[in-house]
Amino acid sequence: MRTFDYTQEVPVVEGQPSAKSLDEVVSSPLDTKPGKIWKILITVTTLMLLVGAGALVWTFYKGIGVWGNNQPVGWGFDIVNFVFWVGIGHAGTLISAILFLLRQRWRTGIARFAEAMTIFAVMCAGIFPAIHTGRAWLDGYLFPYPNANHIWVNFTSPLLWDVFAVSTYFTVSLVFWYIGLIPDFATLRDRTDNKIKKTVYSIFSLGWRHSTRHWQHYEKAYMILAGFATPLVLSVHTIVSFDFAVSVIPGWHTTIFPPYFVAGAVFSGFAMVQNVLIFVRQAFNLKHIITINHLEKMNQVIIVVGTMVGYAYAMEFFTAWYSGNQFETFTFINRALGPYAWAYWTMVTCNVILPQLFWSKKIRTTIWTMFIIGIIVNIGMWFERFVIIVTSLSRDFLPSSWGMYTPTIYDIGILIFSFGLFFTNVLLFVRTLPSVSIAEVKASVDGAQPSHRGGHH
Amino acid sequence: MKGNKLEDKNTNKDVNYWRGFNELNNDPGFLQAKKNEFAEGVSEAPDESGMSGLSRRKFLTLLASSAALAATACSDYRDKGAIVPYNKKPEEVTIGNPNFYASTCTACPNACGILIKTREGRPIKVDGNPDHPVNKGKICASGQANILNLYDPSRVKDAMLKTGAGFTAVDWLETDIKITDELKKASAAGKEIAVITHTINSPSLKQLFADFTSKYSTAKFYSYELVNDTNKLNAFKKSYGKDGFPVINWKEAKIILSLESDFLGKEGNSVEAARLYAESRDVMTKGGEFNKLYAVEGSFTVTGANSDYRIKLRTDAIEEFVYALISSAGENDSALNDFVKKYNLKKNTISELAEDLRKNKGKSIVLAGNHLPESTHIAVNKLNDLLGNTKLYSKENFSTPVIPLSSKQDIESLINRMNSGNVGAVIHFDTNPVYHFSSDYKYADALKKAGLVITLGESANETAEAGNYLLGINHNFESWGDHKIRTGILSLQQPVIAALYKTRQKEAVLLNWISDKPEQFAENNYMTYIKTYWEKNIYAAVNTKVDFKNFWYNSLHDGVVVYNEKFDDNFAFKNEAFSNSPAFRASSGAVVLLAKSSFIGDGRFANNGWLQELPNPISKVVWDNYASISPTAADKLGVKTNDMLEINAGGKTLKAAAFVQPGMADDVVSIDLGYGRKSSGVIGNGVGFNSIDLISKNTNLSDWFYNDGKVTKSSGTYEIISTQEQYAIDQERYNDIHLKREIIREGSYEEYLLNPNFIKEEKGEAKLFNIVPSYEYTTTKWAMSIDLNRCIGCNYCVAACNVENNIPVVGKEQVGKHRNMMWLRIDRYYGGKSDDPKVSFQPMLCQHCDNAPCENVCPVAATNHSPDGLNQMAYNRCVGTRYCSNNCPYKVRRFNYFNFRDNLADGYYENKSLSLLHNPEVTVRSRGVMEKCSFCVQRIMDERQKATQEKRELNGDNVTTACQDACPTNAIVFGDLTKKDSEIVKHRKHELGYHVLEEINVRPNVTYIAKLRNIKPEKKS
Repeated sequence: MRTFDYTQEVPVVEGQPSAKSLDEVVSSPLDTKPGKIWKILITVTTLMLLVGAGALVWTFYKGIGVWGNNQPVGWGFDIVNFVFWVGIGHAGTLISAILFLLRQRWRTGIARFAEAMTIFAVMCAGIFPAIHTGRAWLDGYLFPYPNANHIWVNFTSPLLWDVFAVSTYFTVSLVFWYIGLIPDFATLRDRTDNKIKKTVYSIFSLGWRHSTRHWQHYEKAYMILAGFATPLVLSVHTIVSFDFAVSVIPGWHTTIFPPYFVAGAVFSGFAMVQNVLIFVRQAFNLKHIITINHLEKMNQVIIVVGTMVGYAYAMEFFTAWYSGNQFETFTFINRALGPYAWAYWTMVTCNVILPQLFWSKKIRTTIWTMFIIGIIVNIGMWFERFVIIVTSLSRDFLPSSWGMYTPTIYDIGILIFSFGLFFTNVLLFVRTLPSVSIAEVKASVDGAQPSHRGGHH
Repeated sequence: MKGNKLEDKNTNKDVNYWRGFNELNNDPGFLQAKKNEFAEGVSEAPDESGMSGLSRRKFLTLLASSAALAATACSDYRDKGAIVPYNKKPEEVTIGNPNFYASTCTACPNACGILIKTREGRPIKVDGNPDHPVNKGKICASGQANILNLYDPSRVKDAMLKTGAGFTAVDWLETDIKITDELKKASAAGKEIAVITHTINSPSLKQLFADFTSKYSTAKFYSYELVNDTNKLNAFKKSYGKDGFPVINWKEAKIILSLESDFLGKEGNSVEAARLYAESRDVMTKGGEFNKLYAVEGSFTVTGANSDYRIKLRTDAIEEFVYALISSAGENDSALNDFVKKYNLKKNTISELAEDLRKNKGKSIVLAGNHLPESTHIAVNKLNDLLGNTKLYSKENFSTPVIPLSSKQDIESLINRMNSGNVGAVIHFDTNPVYHFSSDYKYADALKKAGLVITLGESANETAEAGNYLLGINHNFESWGDHKIRTGILSLQQPVIAALYKTRQKEAVLLNWISDKPEQFAENNYMTYIKTYWEKNIYAAVNTKVDFKNFWYNSLHDGVVVYNEKFDDNFAFKNEAFSNSPAFRASSGAVVLLAKSSFIGDGRFANNGWLQELPNPISKVVWDNYASISPTAADKLGVKTNDMLEINAGGKTLKAAAFVQPGMADDVVSIDLGYGRKSSGVIGNGVGFNSIDLISKNTNLSDWFYNDGKVTKSSGTYEIISTQEQYAIDQERYNDIHLKREIIREGSYEEYLLNPNFIKEEKGEAKLFNIVPSYEYTTTKWAMSIDLNRCIGCNYCVAACNVENNIPVVGKEQVGKHRNMMWLRIDRYYGGKSDDPKVSFQPMLCQHCDNAPCENVCPVAATNHSPDGLNQMAYNRCVGTRYCSNNCPYKVRRFNYFNFRDNLADGYYENKSLSLLHNPEVTVRSRGVMEKCSFCVQRIMDERQKATQEKRELNGDNVTTACQDACPTNAIVFGDLTKKDSEIVKHRKHELGYHVLEEINVRPNVTYIAKLRNIKPEKKS
């Protein structure tokens, strides 16, 4: 059995790559022409986007009725996808902001990518509330703008809180991401010979000269923004969970929802980031920057939050029984044994049972096993939202109004659309912007910072 | 003014105003320039070579057209053309005010009195005529929805001639001449002219038939109904020697035993029967007595669902049961005991029934279903006679046909004559025998040999397809008529709109053909005819002091004339009619019942989307008929709902989809008639199965009842759509779930007498609190109460709501997706086990909660609360998030997933004529908008406006909702809670009152009065 020196931190970057080599390896995807695989991938994702867009156009033309939504189940794939994508976004902010504040240096290799994924995921998420309305062309009514009729929005509606929560989250994430990119833009500007690139980079680097004063201001600004973003990690999904928790519907009306949703969001977000990073480190020779150690740490987070989610599932059942409320009790028995039991057990298997395999170090450090479990977690988390939304609505208070929900090809189309949008963005991102924060990684290389070797401060 | 003066001065040369230093200094160049009116170069012709080829005119044209184009592109989608005011205001019409006209409904032979509401000349709503002594202001679902037929785009719009596969419009004048020539020829040749009609209850029409026969001597009139009461009539003829049967004094009936007689649903005038039945189920007046209803039946009817005791029995054992009861009435229970053993019935229930009948001699009534054979009816008459129940036969009214229906022999001989070429012309007088007659008659083939075949009809049908002429006739609301259904009651039918198309009313067509100058058709010929008839015959009989003109206009205004008409009210039973043993006993085969459809009549309303979509009261199935079988039978056959069955009866076969109906007797299969139309219009074609295929020409029992049936599983499936999901009521999780959840609360009448507060005490006062202070309603607060003791689950309220509130028809597929749009629904719950369920009905609509959960979740405040307690919808504001619907615990909100009018059958309901149907006081909702019951806010606003105009306080009792108006049993009460002495407050405070889902503190404003069953309370262990 190998012994580990747990007092010794595992190096964030493997080997001691020089600053120049880091510059080169990170910016090489930006400097080289895309290969065949990338082209195939973007073709696929664009096709997904187009197919989905077709489904969307048809929806706008005919009406929301082309979806499977119905009278008891007013929300189906639309809001399931919304909650799913907002959840995916959470990993990025958690990695970049919370781990930053907690001085977790291992985050440097993956923070940039995770943040980018946040932005794209929130973009995907933001689409759904906008398109799920019956008259999407009137979505403007959701914003509190002064108007001649003196009609104001309804501030008691969680859906309105969503509008603010998600838009704030998107804005802060975007700014945070951009601030982090400034030193790298400067590096890119300095490296490139291409006139157009130089101009673009110059504009975006805002005159960055790597001066100590710049760095001082930068560090402060970054910290403040991290401070801004941190509560957002908790608040956004809390507010999304309010969409359900504030209602009266059994299975929705639950106080456990905010922490449960946040844990679930981090869970699915980490799984998605882990999945995508596995490809990125392979494709762009970043294995020494995004190390197995990184992936393992992420898997550890996955098992922690996954267990929290499992606890929440159990607690919901306990509360249903302990409350003695027959509606609540019925809803949960119905989840486990009713017509949507298959969805419930898919969720439990994917989210609670299979991630337990990560207790094995071998499984959590082997690429293909962790990749599969990551995918499974995301399937499970998608089903979690499906279970919460659809099964609760399909059988609520009056048995006379029970009804099953069956998605149509257009529902599946818009799901594909969102994945197409997400991965198209990801693919464009890896070719246009540094996937890894060059400046931060440079600072994380062993020996780059003055420290007392082997000691703690 | 000042400026003008200045200007005047400006032109005055003496005043030295100057434009600039140049002028002040008298610069010569300037002075020179000043002389020229225009500056240099301005007045010269422009140099065109340097300009574009576009002329100024052309440029302006383009500018204007592109501006117009831009304006059109951005134009408001709400703009749907111009509204033109009256140039000359028609008498009686004030824009915005409705007019009401009394008339008579012709949707079925019951001929109820109706009051038609018209707005700016177009009928938009039908209610019962409150002055009519039979239906007293109420009208059934088909009568309500009949208005859709008026505007149905499938109507025949002219006189048509069959050419090839289709019809071509022909000139009425030429057609009249051609047809009269043919009729004359046929008559001269001694060939029969057969006129085939439905039930005729019009005295004037009877006269017209006589006149027609005197003109064309070979004319013969035949009448038939797909579902009729001939068996009952024949039995009464034999039992009492009377043509017709008495009306029942329901109020005096303490015990009612219905032997498959669906008097609350499909039989006779159920509007009247339901009202009178419910009057004896009154919990609002103290000491009000409860009647007790026993139902013995094989299929599941509305009457059975409302019964206190429902005894499941195969239909062909009913006659035996009656004989057992007859001997039991003579204090000999041995036959009854044997019967109980033989059919494995509950002994307690049957003894209680026998006991009740004996104890309540002269205060009970036994009824047999119209589909049961004559012998059963005679036995029932005997039983009623033995029990002294003939006392309950009304002394005031007697129901007698104006012209009896033709016998089967008459019809058969007609067809034989047709086949032998002895019939020169057939006139289908708004009938469809090709569809209605048993296929044994081969009527369509006979028509080919019948010379001229003329069909008068509102729309094309199977018979018209097989004939020569299809003459478009007027709708009920475009026609004159008179009707007599009871002694001493005559009702008048008047048109409320000029014929929409080039159609004539069917009576006028016949009248024209017997006139000397058929080419001179007078629009009002039949009106004149009726008036003359009334002057000659009715006026004298009524014996009134006013002159005829006044009598006529008064009658027309009232819609009904009640006068004193004697009839022989001595009902002495003729024992020779009664045989000592049952004519038939239960067979070993399956019983096949062919039942009248709940809403689409004999198929005549097949093209009426509202009626097709109105759920069956029991099964909640829409848009189809089906073979209902019991769960046990289904298990035995190995079929589920939607599997195809093959049904054999009387040597005939039908394939139909199975529907597993809890509570059916195990050997009984029941299927509704009137479906499977092939040529009824876009909506009705191919809906359901044509169960007429099972009717034989010669039947042992009756046309609608066979006991030599055989049911087997067939191949394939067919989807049956129901508005309520079927869950396994036998499973512990779902068993009595509606009672456990206290959605339905009920008890027994006995329990109530012992402790009137048992409902309140069962639960105790709910301790609910609000974190925000409640709003105090001081001026008005609207609320509703629904008495579940009175509600029979008939769905008439739903039909009325649909018409009043412009509810779209969504079609079978969309109902299957749970997207039906009805604002009001009747929830049906099965209690107990599936082999013998207890049914509970509950009308469910928006509860207008004080703490409405829908309101706080709407992000745009499109649904909000009015100061008078209404939960209101601002359609314009709604963006359609559906959050409100999700958060509604009652799931009464309805979302426009599509533009439903456009979505069904290629936009069938977007046809122009149908826009006339809409109630102008209610917004037609666009797609993407949420909607729900508004408590008929338009009617509240109407009262508010009237109160303001009349400078008085608003009176809540003046407002009635559409559902309330339609409810035949007056189960619905609506009003203002702040008026302490109002009816609604009484209901709200009633000890049986409860709210559904009280404990979630949404504070609903619909009070339900708990249902009492007149049963012995089960011992609670």
